[in-house]
Amino acid sequence: MIYPFLPDLLLLALAFLVLFLSLITSKNSSLPRWAASSGLIVIFTLLNLIPINHQIPFLFSTWKIDAFGLFIREFLIFAAFLGISLSKNYFNSNHKTSKSMLQHPEFIALILFATLGGFVVVSASDLLTLFLGLELATIPLYALSAWNKKDILGSEAATKFILMGSVATAFELFGFSYLYGFSGSIFFTDIIAQSLSHTNSPLLWIAVLFLFAGIGFKLTLFPFHTWAPDVYEGSPTPVTAVLSVTSKGVAIAFMAILIYGPLKQVHLQIMPIIALLAGTTLVVGNLGALKQHRLRRFMAYSSIAQAGYLLLALLGPASLAKPAIVYYLLVYTAANFTVFFIISVVERTRSASFNSLRGLSAENPFLAISLAIALFSLAGIPPLAGFLGKFQLFLNVAHAKYYGFLVFAVLNNVIALYYYIQVLKSAWVDPQDSKSPKLQILKTEKAWIALLSVFTLVAGLLPIINDNIFKILQSF
Amino acid sequence: MTLLNCLLLSFILFGIGVFGLLRRRHIVAMLISIELMLNAANMNFISFAYFSKGDASAGAIFSLFVIAITACEMAIALAIVIAMYRRTHSLDIDSLRGLHE
Repeated sequence: MIYPFLPDLLLLALAFLVLFLSLITSKNSSLPRWAASSGLIVIFTLLNLIPINHQIPFLFSTWKIDAFGLFIREFLIFAAFLGISLSKNYFNSNHKTSKSMLQHPEFIALILFATLGGFVVVSASDLLTLFLGLELATIPLYALSAWNKKDILGSEAATKFILMGSVATAFELFGFSYLYGFSGSIFFTDIIAQSLSHTNSPLLWIAVLFLFAGIGFKLTLFPFHTWAPDVYEGSPTPVTAVLSVTSKGVAIAFMAILIYGPLKQVHLQIMPIIALLAGTTLVVGNLGALKQHRLRRFMAYSSIAQAGYLLLALLGPASLAKPAIVYYLLVYTAANFTVFFIISVVERTRSASFNSLRGLSAENPFLAISLAIALFSLAGIPPLAGFLGKFQLFLNVAHAKYYGFLVFAVLNNVIALYYYIQVLKSAWVDPQDSKSPKLQILKTEKAWIALLSVFTLVAGLLPIINDNIFKILQSF
Repeated sequence: MTLLNCLLLSFILFGIGVFGLLRRRHIVAMLISIELMLNAANMNFISFAYFSKGDASAGAIFSLFVIAITACEMAIALAIVIAMYRRTHSLDIDSLRGLHE
């Protein structure tokens, strides 16, 4: 039996270890990166050894470890590992280009701290822990987005990000304060007990509105999504990848914990708000992506739409919604990181726009095929993993009996398919631009893209052959 | 002094913060407005704790944590603002037009 608290402590220690190693090794040493990667693998293994069938409280019952928490932890480790691998090639002090950055160990440590913030969010059983976790997951990302000090757009993006993020924090905190005033306690159990008898208390509903506004910023829901395209475009590519996966995952886990925790009793009344937010986010994300021609901005709008799909899960009951969220987050991570690895290859020699992809199928069929797999998975085409993921999300909407809304969401997916195919058209149909410089692809990048594509294929086919995965996921 | 008075005061402070954020174009002034909003939430916690019949310590402790978190956030915000000022030599939010559709 493994002490279930151990992975969390190890991750905290790992972040400090990486910082410490950067002090005692030379400037270009890859030791901190190796330490971080192997440490993450160890933590991932430990997480898999923890039994998932019971809740374990710690630290005066402010900290609990349950199945949902464990799966989200595994997702966060997966995302952090990929983020660190993607960032490697941006820290090369040999080429002095405007895109290369300095101080890789600190960069890795900040990604690890943000991951730890996600760990804290999913283990919270009171408002204070929840708030601290969310802040720990967000504050490192502000610093990460400003990492490239030579890039004027990077600091502009970071300024916009931190201004919007702090406003979101203020709204969230205001919501928390009313929730505390409503129940007189910060523990989830007391809030549930209080909301059982006072469902229509105005304090509760003001709290819900403020909390939704606050978390809407972090999850890029309409009408709080406007910062996302600018920040995604201006930040360094590895940061954009981490931002689109880790921060979104933490935000949706936060919402799931809030809705299936303290707000459990009013879930039925909150449903219309969730449906409204999800529906408008889908439309805005999809319509916004239609007119994009720069890759990173396109990915920003695509991820806004994906946030809308993730939000659909919260319409269902906890036993159905939580597995759907976990599965879709994993699938989304694999597909999104494939695209960002491809973007990092493309922008090494060209600009990150659709035009740079022209003639990709002739120049590098491997990249073109993996791009097709990733984008079709994001669009939800069977037999890729994205199809099953979206199916699980839509199942929650059907379970809530919002059939009209379900049709609306599926129709939105058709728009999504159109713009994903627009990208593929550049890669597969448009002729090559003879003037554009050749792509340079590194062996490690090739390996990562291949692995993630295989993951997307296998994760889509495996549940059809053997549905054990969903049975395990549904048992929590 | 009643609970309602305190809540109204903090709500008005929050409103002033939001107004300042929308009205001011100077980045440091905007950060001060955000600080005002965060501290309005703090006052809410303190007043709920003071008038609460239940767990009064929780609200007071929460506000202490918030002060520490806000300090971290503002430290990073000012660092980013300085990095930006070195590039653009301007603290006007309207000059941030590099990233757009």
